Amino acid sequence: MVGFTTTIPLEVLIAAERRPVDLNNIFITDPDPQGLIEDAEVAGFPRNICGWIKGLYGVVRRHDIKEIVAVTEGDCSNTKALMEVLTLQGVTTVPFAYPFDRSAETLTHEIDKLARHFGVTLHQCEAARVRLERVRGKVHEIDRLNWQEDRVSGSESHTFQVCTSDMNGDVDAFEAEVDTFLAEAGRRQPLRQSLRLAYIGVPPIFADLYETLEGMGARVVFNETQRQFSMPYPVDSLVEQYRRYTYPYDIFTRLADIETEIARRRVDGVIHYVQAFCFRQIEDLIVRQRLKTPILTLEGDRPGLLDARTRIRLEGFIEMLKARKP
Amino acid sequence: MTGLGIDLGSRQAKFALLDGHKIVWLKVFDTIPFYKLYGGMRGGKLTLDFDAMGLLAAEERRAAALVATGYGRNTIDLEGARVVPEIQAHVAGARFQTDLDTFTLLDMGGQDSKVARLENGILVDFVMNDKCAASSGRYLENMAKVLDISLEDLSRHYRDPVPLDATCGIFGESELIGKIIEGHSLERLCAGVNNTLIKRVAPMLRRFPTDTIVLTGGVAKSPAFKELLQEASGADIIVPKHPQHNGAIGCAVLAGR
Repeated sequence: MVGFTTTIPLEVLIAAERRPVDLNNIFITDPDPQGLIEDAEVAGFPRNICGWIKGLYGVVRRHDIKEIVAVTEGDCSNTKALMEVLTLQGVTTVPFAYPFDRSAETLTHEIDKLARHFGVTLHQCEAARVRLERVRGKVHEIDRLNWQEDRVSGSESHTFQVCTSDMNGDVDAFEAEVDTFLAEAGRRQPLRQSLRLAYIGVPPIFADLYETLEGMGARVVFNETQRQFSMPYPVDSLVEQYRRYTYPYDIFTRLADIETEIARRRVDGVIHYVQAFCFRQIEDLIVRQRLKTPILTLEGDRPGLLDARTRIRLEGFIEMLKARKP
Repeated sequence: MTGLGIDLGSRQAKFALLDGHKIVWLKVFDTIPFYKLYGGMRGGKLTLDFDAMGLLAAEERRAAALVATGYGRNTIDLEGARVVPEIQAHVAGARFQTDLDTFTLLDMGGQDSKVARLENGILVDFVMNDKCAASSGRYLENMAKVLDISLEDLSRHYRDPVPLDATCGIFGESELIGKIIEGHSLERLCAGVNNTLIKRVAPMLRRFPTDTIVLTGGVAKSPAFKELLQEASGADIIVPKHPQHNGAIGCAVLAGR
C-alpha cells in the first residue's frame, strides 16, 4: 500500500503492482474524519492550517501507512512539513514535484525518478497508462451522462471522478463498479431541468453540498478538479498527460479549461470552493475578475454537513440565479 | 389585510402587516423571550401562538397570507407560512420602501451583513458575511457594554476615530479596553468602534456600484454609521423609514402577491 497526498502519475504504482491509496479519499470517507484532524492537532499541528493536511496526517497514522508519495510542488506547500513530520515518525516519504513551468523535460525526469524508486521502467508505465485509459474513458462517459444527457447527478459524477485518482486501490474492481453504474444510469430517465452549476476548486470538505444544491433546484454539471483527476484529454504519452492535467499548474491554464467547459455545458452559475487557510483562496480574486458567470465563493474548514450560514448563502445565490434566468 | 410578514432574526423577531400599499403596523420582539413565550415545535414545525402575541384577531390572522424569512429559514419551518430566502425578502422590502429598481442594498443586521445589487429590478449579485459577525448589531451591543454607554450614545460619534484593528469582535473588546486605558475621549472611542464596521463592510461593498446605497437592518439606525459610510463610499445613501423591519415588510409584500 502506497499513500499519496494528491494525484500523482498513478501508472507508476500500477506498473509496480503496488496498491495506490489517495489519502484524501480515505480521510473524507472515514466515519470520523473530524477525529483524524484532532489526531493531528493533538500531535501539534496548528488550528489555522488546512483541514486536509491534518486529515492526511491522521490517515497515515491511524492506518499505519509505511510509505507515501508526497507532492511537494504543484499542490499545497504544507505537504513539505507534513512529509518531514512523517519522516520523523518512520514513514518512508517519496517526493514528487510538478514543475511550475510545465517543462516536459523536468516532468519526464520526475516521473522517471518515481518509476526508478518503485523499480519499474517508463515503458511499463506507458503500458499501465493504456490499461487505465480504458477505465478513465468510462468515467468520462459518466461525466458526459451528467452534463449532456442529464441522467447522472452532480454528486455521482463527482464521486466517480474523484475515485480515479487511485481507482479505489483496485483497478479491476473499480472498473466493474463503473460498468454496473453505467448500465444502470443509461436506463434512467433524464433528470428534470434545473439550474446548471459549475463546481470549481478543490473537492468539497462538506458531505452534503451536492444533495443540498439539488434540493434547492440546482445541479452541478461540471466538477472542475475532479474531472481533471480523471485525465480528460486524449494524449499519447504519460508525460503529455500530466502536462495537460491542469490542477498542479497555474490558475490561467485552469481558467481556460473552466471557461471552455462553462460554455459547452451551458452553466448558469459557478461555485468556487476554497479551503480555509489554503493559498488557493488568493486565486479567488483572479477567478472573479476573469469569469463572466455569477460566482459564489464558498469556504469550508472542517468535514461535516453544511452549516446554517453556508446554506443561507447557497440559497441566496440559487435564488439570484433563478431570478436572472430568462 | 393583504399580507403578514415575519422576519425571524438572530436578535429580534420582526412582524409587519400590510393592507395593499399601506403598512398597518410593525412589531418587534427580542428573540429569546419571543420563542420562550410564543414559540413551540409541533411535528418538526415551528408554531407561533398568535393569540398570545395579541397582534391580530383570529379572523384577521386567517385572512392575511403569511410569509416568513430569517435566520431560521434553514432550520425552522414555520407552520402555515410560505418561507422565502432572506435575500428575496430584503430586496422586496427595499423596493417597496424606496420605489427604486436600481441600487445596492446594504443590510446590517444582528449578525449578518448582506450586500445585494439590483439592476432594473433584477438581482444581479450579492455577498454576505461569512463565519464572522464582527460587523453587526451584536458587535455594537457588545462594544457599548464595554464602554458602559447606551447603543444610542455609541451611535452618535464618528469624528476622529481611534484606530481599532482587531479582526475579531471578541478580541476587539480587549483592544478597546486598552484604548480606554490609554485615555482617549469617549467620543473618539465611539467613533473608532463605528469605524470598524466600515472597515469590515468596505471590501464587500467594493464589488458593487455605489451610486445609490439603500441601507437597512438595525445598524442603519446609527447616524454615525450612515455618516461614515457616506464618507467612505461617496454614495447617495438612502435609509428607508423602517430599516429594521425591512425584511418583515418584504415578506408582507410577497405575501400580498
